[in-house]
Amino acid sequence: MTAEIGQAAIYLSVLSCSWAIGFLSFGLWIRNARAIQSGRNAVVATFILISIATGALIYGFVTDDFSMKYVVEVSSAAQPVLYKIAALWGAMSGSLLFWLWLLTVGGAIVVWQNYQRNKQTQDTLADYSLIPIAIVQLFFTILVTGLIDGIYNPLARFPGGQVAADGQGMNPLLQTPLMAIHPPTLYIGWISLTIPFAFAVGALVSGRIGSGWILRSRRWMLFSWIILTIGITLGGNWAYQELGWGGYWAWDPVENASFMPWLLGTAYLHSVMIQEKRNMLKLWNILLITLAFQFTLLGTFITRSGIITSVHAFGGSGIGGYFLSFIFASTAGVIGLIIYRWNRLKSANRLESLLSRESAFLLNNWLLVGLTLIILWGTLWPVISEAINGEKSSVPEAFFNKVVIIPGLLLLFLTGAGPIISWKKITANNFRRMFLMPLVIGLIGGALTWGFLALIGYTFPLYSVLCSFAAVFVFAAIFAEFYRGAKLRAKRQETSFVNGLNLLIQRNKRRYGGYIIHIGIVILYIGIMGSKGYFLLESQTVTLGGSMEVGKYKLTMIDAFEKEYSNYLRSGVIFDVEKNGKHIGTMEPALHAYYAAKPDEEPTKESAIQHLGVNDLYIALASVPRNIKTGGVVNVQVYYNPLIGIVWIGVAVMVLGGIVAIAEKSERSEDS
Amino acid sequence: MKKQSRLKIVAASAILLGGMAFLVVAMTRSTSMRHFTPALLVAAGDEAHDQRVQVDGLIAEESAQWDAVNFKLTFAIRDRETEATVHVIYEDRLKPDNFKDGGSVFVEGKYDATQNLVVATKLMTKCASKYEGAESAVPTDETSYTSE
Repeated sequence: MTAEIGQAAIYLSVLSCSWAIGFLSFGLWIRNARAIQSGRNAVVATFILISIATGALIYGFVTDDFSMKYVVEVSSAAQPVLYKIAALWGAMSGSLLFWLWLLTVGGAIVVWQNYQRNKQTQDTLADYSLIPIAIVQLFFTILVTGLIDGIYNPLARFPGGQVAADGQGMNPLLQTPLMAIHPPTLYIGWISLTIPFAFAVGALVSGRIGSGWILRSRRWMLFSWIILTIGITLGGNWAYQELGWGGYWAWDPVENASFMPWLLGTAYLHSVMIQEKRNMLKLWNILLITLAFQFTLLGTFITRSGIITSVHAFGGSGIGGYFLSFIFASTAGVIGLIIYRWNRLKSANRLESLLSRESAFLLNNWLLVGLTLIILWGTLWPVISEAINGEKSSVPEAFFNKVVIIPGLLLLFLTGAGPIISWKKITANNFRRMFLMPLVIGLIGGALTWGFLALIGYTFPLYSVLCSFAAVFVFAAIFAEFYRGAKLRAKRQETSFVNGLNLLIQRNKRRYGGYIIHIGIVILYIGIMGSKGYFLLESQTVTLGGSMEVGKYKLTMIDAFEKEYSNYLRSGVIFDVEKNGKHIGTMEPALHAYYAAKPDEEPTKESAIQHLGVNDLYIALASVPRNIKTGGVVNVQVYYNPLIGIVWIGVAVMVLGGIVAIAEKSERSEDS
Repeated sequence: MKKQSRLKIVAASAILLGGMAFLVVAMTRSTSMRHFTPALLVAAGDEAHDQRVQVDGLIAEESAQWDAVNFKLTFAIRDRETEATVHVIYEDRLKPDNFKDGGSVFVEGKYDATQNLVVATKLMTKCASKYEGAESAVPTDETSYTSE
C-alpha cells in the first residue's frame, strides 16, 4: 500500500510543480499577492509529496518488500540497514528520486528564507527564482513517474503481483560507509548549485540585475562549493581505499563530471566579487552560474547515459536524450532572457590595467573555465573523435595529468598574487610593499626544495621546482596579509596580536575565510605534487616468510588468515613492516568475499594502508591461495605514497576556510 | 579608459586562450589512442602496428592464464560479434576484480601486429551482468568502477 501512496504522491507533484510555475508566473505578472502565495505553497506541497514518495521507498527497503522492482534491484534481505537506505541512490531511478527530493528541500528552504525576510521587506526576487526551481523539479518529477521510456518509477511493483525471493543486493564495492555518504554529498553540492542559478534567472526575468541576486544566493553558492569539495574528496578517498590501485584520482569520466561544476563554481565565487566591487562582469556571472548548473546536468548525462563508459553510441538509453534536451532547452531559455535584458547587462566599468586585481580575477576565471573545457574535451574525446573522422579514440590519464600542469601552476601563483595585488592598477609601491618579500622567500623556498630533492636522490622536473616556488610564495603572501591585518587591528584596539587576528577574521569572515581556503589549496598542491610525482610501486610475488623491499621499507609476510563476518568472508595476509631494520608495525591487506555476491563477482580488495606521518605505505592483494601455508604464492602491489596525507589535510583546511566564509550572514558587500 | 591597455588585455587573453588550445590539441595528438574491437584491430593489422590502442571485447573462454609466480596475466580478447580474437599480456599488475571468462574487458596498450598481441598497461573489467538481465535494463555507471 505504501508504494502505491508513494506513486500517487509522485503523480500529484507533477500537478504541484505545474501549479507553482503557473501561479508564480501569473501572480508576478499581474502583481497579485494571493496568486504568488499560492505558488509558494505549491513549492512546499511538492516538498511534502516527494518526501512521502521517498519515505515510501525507504519503507520498502527497510521492510524488504521484494514485490518492488527497485528494491529487488539494489537491496537484499541480508544487506545491513545502513546500506538498505543507501540503496536509495544505488541505481538510476532511485537516485533520480533522491535528487528530486533534495531539490524540493532546496525549494522549501528558499520559500522559508523568503518568508523570514519578507517580515521586514517585501521583495519578489526569490519568488521569481522559485519558477526555475519548480521547472527543474518538474523535469525530474516527470523522469521518475515511469511514464517515459528507459526509466521506471522507483516505487513500481513487478507486474502481476510477482514477488522475488530476495533482492540482488548492492554492488559490494559500494558497501562501505564512505560510499554510503559520498553520492548524497555530491548530490547535495550539485543541487544547491541550482539555487544561485535560479536566482540568476530570477534576476534576468525581473530585470533586477544588480548585485542583489548574487548577495541573496551567495551563501548557497558557498554551501555548494564546500559540499562539493567534501564530496569529491570522499570519492577520491573511497577509490584510494577500495579500488586497490594506490591512487585517488584517475580522471575517470565520473570523477571529471563531479570536478567540472566545482571548477566553474570556484570561478563564479571569484568573479562575483568583481561585480560587487566594480559593477563589472554582470553578463559573465550569469553565464558562469548557468554553465555551472548545466554542468551538473551534463555530468549526470555523461555518467548515466552510457555515452562514455560503454562503447555504445548515443541514444542507447532513454535518459540521455531527456537530459540533453533539457540542457538545450534551459540554456536556450537563459540565452533568450539575456538577449531580452541585453541593455541592463552592460558593465559600467572596464578593466584599466593588465596588472590589477581585476585582471587577476579575470585570469583566474579564464584559467578555471579553460581547465573545465579541457577536461570536458578529454572526457568527450571519444564522442568528438568519432564525429571528426569516424574513428573512436580516447585519451589516457596522462593527457589530463600533462595538460593541467601549466594552467594549474598559474592558478597556484594567482592564489597568492590575487589577494595582494591592488585594484585598478598595480603601483611600484604596491609591488615593493606586497610582492617583493613573498617573491624572494618563494625563490629561496623553491631553491631549497630543489636542493633537498637532489640531495635525497630524487629527480626534479621543472614543474616541481615551479610548484614549490609558487607554494612558498603564496604562503608568504597570505601569511603577510594576516600578519599585517592582525597587527593593525591589535594596535587600533590596543589588544594582543592573537586578539587582533581574531577580530580581523570576525570582521571580515568572507575575505579571510577565502584566504584560509587559499592556504588549503597550497597544501593540497604540495600533497598532489608529492603523491603523484614521487610515488614508488613494487609488484612482487611473495611466499609465507618471504620479504620484499620498497624504498626504505622492508615487508615480511608473517601469516595468513581467514575470518567470517556477518555478510562477508575476510581473507588476507599479515606483513611485518620494518624501516632501517626497526619494526614499525604490521599491515593486513585482505579480500572481502560477500556471501550475497553473484558467482561472477570476485571478492573486493581491502588494501592495507599504513600512515607514516604524511606518507603512506599501501599494500593491495590479488588473491590468497588455499595452499598459502604450504608454499603458495601471493601477488602484492605495494605503493609508497609520499605526502598523500597532505592531500586530505589541504582539503580539510579548504573546508574550514569555507565554513569561516559562509558564517558571514550579512548581505552587504565586503568592506575595505 | 586607454585604448592601449585594452589592446594589451585582449592580446594577453588571446595568447592565454591560444596557448591553452594549442596545448590541448598537441596533447590530444600525442596521447590519443584509437579504439578498436578485436575484429577491427585484426583487420587493421599492420596499420595499427606499434601504436597505442584500446580494445574492447569479451574475455575468451578458457584463454586466461594467471601466472602467479611471474606475476603475469595472459588471455585472449574475443569480439562481441565475430570470431576474431586478440592476445593480451598484462604484467606486474594485480589481476583485476571480476576477471571471468566471457566477461566484458577493456584493455589499453601497445599493439604488436606480428604476434596479434596487445601489451597492456591498463586493464578494466566491467561486471556488466550486475544490472543487465534484471527486470530493468538500466545502465548505471557503478559497473565501470573496477579499474586496473
